[in-house]
Amino acid sequence: MLEVRALDVSYGDAPALWGISMTVGAGELVAVVGPNGAGKTTLINSIARILPSRGGSIWLDGVEVTALPSQAMCELGVALIPEGRRLFVGMTVEENLEMGCYRPAARLHRVQGMERVYEIFPILKERRRQIAGTLSGGQQQMLAVGRALMARPKLLLVDEPSLGLSPLITQQLFEVLKKIHADGMSMLLIEQNVAIALDIAERVYVVEGGRIVSTGKPKDLLATRHIREAYLGEDVEAGSR
Amino acid sequence: MPSASLLAQSILSGILIGGLYTLLGLGLSLSWRFLQVINLAHFAFVFLAAYLSYQLIGVAGLNPGLALLILLPIFFLIGIALQYLLIRFSVNEFASLLVTFGILVLLETLIQWIWSADFRRLETSYGTASIKIGAIYVPIVECLMFFVAVIVAVVTWAWLKFTYVGKALRASAENPIIAGAYGVNHKRLAYLIAGISGATAAIAGVFIALISTLAPAQVVVWLGVVFAAVILGGLGNPLGLLVASLVIGVSEAITMAVTAPTWAPLVSFTLLIAILILRPHKV
Amino acid sequence: MKDKRGFLAAGLIVVALIAFPAFKPPAFLESFLYLVFFWIALTSSWQILSGYTGYFSFGHGAFFGIGMYTTANLATKGEMDFLLTLPIAGIIAAVVGVLIGAVVFRVKQLRGELFALLTLAVTFVLATIALNTSIDGGPGVFLSGIKIANIYGSPATSLYLFALLTAVASLALAWWVQHSRFGGGLFAIADDEDVAEVLGVPTYRFKLIALGLSSFIAGVGGGIQAVYVSYVTVPETFSITVPLFVVLMSLIGGSRHWLGAAIGAAFITTLNYVFVGGEWALAGRALIGLILIVAILYLPDGLMGLLESRRRKRQSRARAQDTEHVAAGIDRATEHRPAAPAPKPAGASQVLLRCEDVQLSFRGVRALAGISLEVRKGEILGIVGPNGSGKSTLINTISGFYRPDAGRILFRDRDLAKEEAHKIAALGVGRTYQIPRPFVRLSVLENVALPAMYGPFGLQRAAAEAQARTALEHVGLAGRADALPTELNLHQRKFLEIARALASGSELVLLDEVLAGLTPTEIASAVSMVRSIRDRGATIIFIEHNMRAVLALTERLIVLDHGEVIAEGEPRDVMRRPAVITAYLGKAHA
Repeated sequence: MLEVRALDVSYGDAPALWGISMTVGAGELVAVVGPNGAGKTTLINSIARILPSRGGSIWLDGVEVTALPSQAMCELGVALIPEGRRLFVGMTVEENLEMGCYRPAARLHRVQGMERVYEIFPILKERRRQIAGTLSGGQQQMLAVGRALMARPKLLLVDEPSLGLSPLITQQLFEVLKKIHADGMSMLLIEQNVAIALDIAERVYVVEGGRIVSTGKPKDLLATRHIREAYLGEDVEAGSR
Repeated sequence: MPSASLLAQSILSGILIGGLYTLLGLGLSLSWRFLQVINLAHFAFVFLAAYLSYQLIGVAGLNPGLALLILLPIFFLIGIALQYLLIRFSVNEFASLLVTFGILVLLETLIQWIWSADFRRLETSYGTASIKIGAIYVPIVECLMFFVAVIVAVVTWAWLKFTYVGKALRASAENPIIAGAYGVNHKRLAYLIAGISGATAAIAGVFIALISTLAPAQVVVWLGVVFAAVILGGLGNPLGLLVASLVIGVSEAITMAVTAPTWAPLVSFTLLIAILILRPHKV
Repeated sequence: MKDKRGFLAAGLIVVALIAFPAFKPPAFLESFLYLVFFWIALTSSWQILSGYTGYFSFGHGAFFGIGMYTTANLATKGEMDFLLTLPIAGIIAAVVGVLIGAVVFRVKQLRGELFALLTLAVTFVLATIALNTSIDGGPGVFLSGIKIANIYGSPATSLYLFALLTAVASLALAWWVQHSRFGGGLFAIADDEDVAEVLGVPTYRFKLIALGLSSFIAGVGGGIQAVYVSYVTVPETFSITVPLFVVLMSLIGGSRHWLGAAIGAAFITTLNYVFVGGEWALAGRALIGLILIVAILYLPDGLMGLLESRRRKRQSRARAQDTEHVAAGIDRATEHRPAAPAPKPAGASQVLLRCEDVQLSFRGVRALAGISLEVRKGEILGIVGPNGSGKSTLINTISGFYRPDAGRILFRDRDLAKEEAHKIAALGVGRTYQIPRPFVRLSVLENVALPAMYGPFGLQRAAAEAQARTALEHVGLAGRADALPTELNLHQRKFLEIARALASGSELVLLDEVLAGLTPTEIASAVSMVRSIRDRGATIIFIEHNMRAVLALTERLIVLDHGEVIAEGEPRDVMRRPAVITAYLGKAHA
């Protein structure tokens, strides 16, 4: 469904990316892990076209989208759950959800969409008239997920949802993401918390220093030196002794 | 202490002038909040509209309603043209204050060049008509202006509050990048709001032509007090602006009646200073 | 050499202007020059606050008006000698200015257009008070019959000379401020006030001093102008014209250069003088409006800004050619101060910084849940932890940007939790920013010289620049000393941050993810640079995600998670502990 070919990004203070190539199949849940500063957020923002790229191309369902603006990506069914949630904090919960279905095609399904979101996150229904900025961190992340679902996407780009959340809330949130995926959603997940990412992903890319250093199934990856090296600084020789 | 009827008359005129402040401030408030443009030229637009109304109504003999219908699209386009200029040079919020002041000076001289520095007064049969209720005189045109102000403010508020476009504008003002990622075309909305701001100048201009004496130097007369109302009411909040305008209008009128007319500016500017110091983050 | 010639030329011009009236020039010429001097004084005094710090004031008319009315009232009703009224006019204006500033400068968000509006509102409030009290009362104040010393035999000439002296004094002050340590702080405030404060600039006090100086001169200028116009009225005095002309003149000339005021004021005054009075008055006014628009769209930094940037580019090119061969001089750094003895083994040395149960919450979210830790003199202490674990918050708290809700941060017998950020920097705590935050309109050299002026060394400007050059050589940026930070790439900007920490001479340096975003080769040179900072005697807190670098550099490691210290000890040992592995990789894999 999504294919990234030899993507190069360098933009201001964002970490640079060199020659990133990756795919997300239809209905697949792919995770990108790596330490902070590796360029994960740069990658996902570039796929959402809110960051320009310098080289390479991005393809969606066989169509090249590299030159399109972010609005067009939304039309094509790609929804972003940005790092740090980036809600419209001065607007109510309900208004945030409505912004999710701003594009005309999604607007037609506003009522069903909202029902579905409220079904997944009942607390949002309770708080629907509350200003988003006054929600707790966990509720804000739920709202960010809900806003993206309102866009009726085919592909969900999820950037570091666990950021700033307690372990318990993180776990609950990932249960929900798992369920959304089980209902058939393709997902590209960026996560610094490897354990959680590897737990739900079907395929994983490890990014370090702006490059993909490893890829594979979660089970095979966990044992590999790349992850342990990147996160714990273990060098393999010392570890194996 | 003034008599009760004088006080009542003052309060009424304060309420009515509050309507004028609302009409003057609406365009300023919208473009400040949603375009990050502090449009001082708006005051020149208003007077340009007022002089054009003077020409259309007084000289060409048109009906004021018809004059307004002619002026609305013109000023809608003027608003868009200004926005185009500001985007073209990617002018930031602070620089917009200075650029639009330059435009204000230019338009002011243009007005003076066409209509001279002399006072102009639109003489109509209804301009000064009023009805007497009890001991109070109620000027008809100013009442009409007040009701138009209320309607425009409420409609704009509802538009921002309940429509998709209004919500998209608010979302875009908060976070244009993410709003864009959800399909909001910020640029198109920006032109729309710039046009609407311009159109409000036409409405204010027609009423000023009807109720007031025109002179080029008048352009900046209401600048300070309208800024106070805009900030007090909250940027981009038409209902807040309406309430703030009424509060300022009435307190000015009472200050004038109780002390001297020359003390009136103290009210709005002290309020403005207080609001800036106490809650600048809300602006 | 060049400076001397400049002083000589300036001195000659001033002497010539003083002698000028002796040749009995036509009256119109004298009064034209008077106006030029008057506007130079007002504009350059405005620049000291607004041009240099970026706090654009539209309230200069207020201070000018206070001066006018002080002189008008004292000289008529008070029958005071005109000359005596001038310093009083200045002092009253300055006192009012400082009182306003004392309130306004405490409000953080009150910058840019809001500050401009506020100062304008203050002007109108003062106007209303003057109009309704005995200060004016409505009809205005006539200053006819004021006795003025007759220099060269004419009162008009005396005014000419007073205005000249005020203009010269104002320009001299603006020149001095621009080249002083104080001015360096003001320019830093204009670009990034928070960083300026954290690097040691006492921002609040500096803004007050700048406002005081600025309003003093405006007051004196107003006093002279009162006699020149001889009839003072509220609408003329407190109009929007005065601040707008000042802003316009300054913008055209260049508001960040002392000479900009002189150029802008002379230009606009001439324009006004040529057009005013004739039938072209209207065209003149339109032209001024047009110039304002064009100046902001095409010449945002004014004439002097344009010249300065050309000069800087030339210099930068020349220097880059000169120093290309020493550009990569990491190892050959010249030492500014004696190298410290090799660090003692960790554990044996004394404690430099101690955090005791430091807590901080944002809107109910606990960012720091009671952090207690020690930093020992001469060590490189690593702090790691997953995203959002509180590392950057901890740095922001130690450096005084945040104030903790509870707990103590002891550094050299002082509790940093109670100190202001600039005080902490001066005590010897320096920091870098994860995303570099250089002062974008200052050169690389000036960026690095700033912490040398305001850090624990507290150097004067020249010494600070020498120190900065050493630091730049050390990080391999000597060839870019005259460049602007925007011309640097990411890794150069990161090294600029390190150079700032180096030049500050801080005893404790907090490095916040200096390696993020660098390529492997750049990381290697950054690592050796960090080591060399320590070898010069500094103690380092090293916050980083790159574990290899952490293990290579640090002697002791602290792991944070959810705002708490979860492990502490020898780095390799710490990273093997189950709690740490759980924090990073989850329970299943511990």
